[in-house]
Amino acid sequence: MRTGLLALALLTVWSSPLLAADVAPVWNEIKGEKLLVLKLKGDAARGEEAFVTCQSCHRRGATGSPSGMYPRLAGQHATVLIEQMTDIRSGKRRNPKMAPFSDEHVLTPQEMADIAVYLQGLPIPANLGRGPGTALGRGQDIYVRDCANCHGDRGEGNRDKFYPLVAGQHFVYLLREARLVRDGERGNANPDMVRVIKRYSDDDLEAVADYMSRLNSP
Amino acid sequence: MLASTLLPAGPVCGQSADKATSIVTSNCAACHGMDGNSVVPTFPKLAGRHPEYIARELNEFVTGKRKSDIMAPITAALDPEDFKLLGAYFGSQKPTRGTVLDQKAAEEGRKFYFEGNEQSGVPACEGCHGTDAQGGKRFPRLAGQHREYLIEQIYNFRTNARIATRIMREVSNRMTDAEIKAVAEYLTGL
Repeated sequence: MRTGLLALALLTVWSSPLLAADVAPVWNEIKGEKLLVLKLKGDAARGEEAFVTCQSCHRRGATGSPSGMYPRLAGQHATVLIEQMTDIRSGKRRNPKMAPFSDEHVLTPQEMADIAVYLQGLPIPANLGRGPGTALGRGQDIYVRDCANCHGDRGEGNRDKFYPLVAGQHFVYLLREARLVRDGERGNANPDMVRVIKRYSDDDLEAVADYMSRLNSP
Repeated sequence: MLASTLLPAGPVCGQSADKATSIVTSNCAACHGMDGNSVVPTFPKLAGRHPEYIARELNEFVTGKRKSDIMAPITAALDPEDFKLLGAYFGSQKPTRGTVLDQKAAEEGRKFYFEGNEQSGVPACEGCHGTDAQGGKRFPRLAGQHREYLIEQIYNFRTNARIATRIMREVSNRMTDAEIKAVAEYLTGL
């Protein structure tokens, strides 16, 4: 009987929109596998070996693919890489293309830690994929106003806060992911960012993605 | 006997070489050829494969992870030390090339091998199997392999008739029939 009441009480709580908003999950909560991998000490040499299966898409040197379909990973913060890999593994970030290639049968937690350290230390290559360059002023205005606060004046991101380096990333990739974030389809987007870019038009996104793709990597 | 059990996977010499040759003669040569370059396209070429890869696959016929009515009884009669000898033996043989019959398909296959298919999410084969498709200890050599064998294996991955790594199961399901045929045609000529 007591259990029944408890279940009923929980059901009431969950069905209340007001309360549901109050108990919304914390963005990027550090627990489970994410916590485990972040605690492990990565080894770059082992990471290079484990990265072999990743380079089929992300290419040697982790430059990403020339088309921008696959992002550049070279020079990205290890914390961000671990956040994204574990989110893709857990299904939190929706990425059906990559998920099977990064699941527990392919990569161990230690290998993820190794890969993250390896990639973080790779030299950032010259930008391979820029946008059309037709609205850079608008892109800069948007970036300075809304993005630089978290992603940094030069697009360097923030290792400790899990904000990714965006400077020099492929334009096509930046635009695609920005759309997914705006439209609530990425899965693990920071709600603060969603709030900011929700009102952006496609043209706004294209302008700011183009601007970021041209920032000089720090 | 003592020498062979202590010998790690590596170049075959002396007594071990004799033992390897003797195992190959009585167990392997009829299908795979004495030099590991089989002439029957349904039997894979083994010449030039990484010794550790060969030993691992042989062991998987014993554990049942890899299923083959032909290979299961043969490998059951051998032991892990023999597998190391066989790996070293076939790994040091000179691989032969096949003949490309469809030049257009081979050219498409070359492109696919180095680029994969970004739209359907097939990774480039080159990433794991290497620029020259020479493979390594984790991933097999594909260069010069019989096209028929390559095609059959990819279909086996698709249907789970061969229990693949997670990677190849996914890859085989994302590849089109035309892509499979093309990449096999390219690889056979390497």
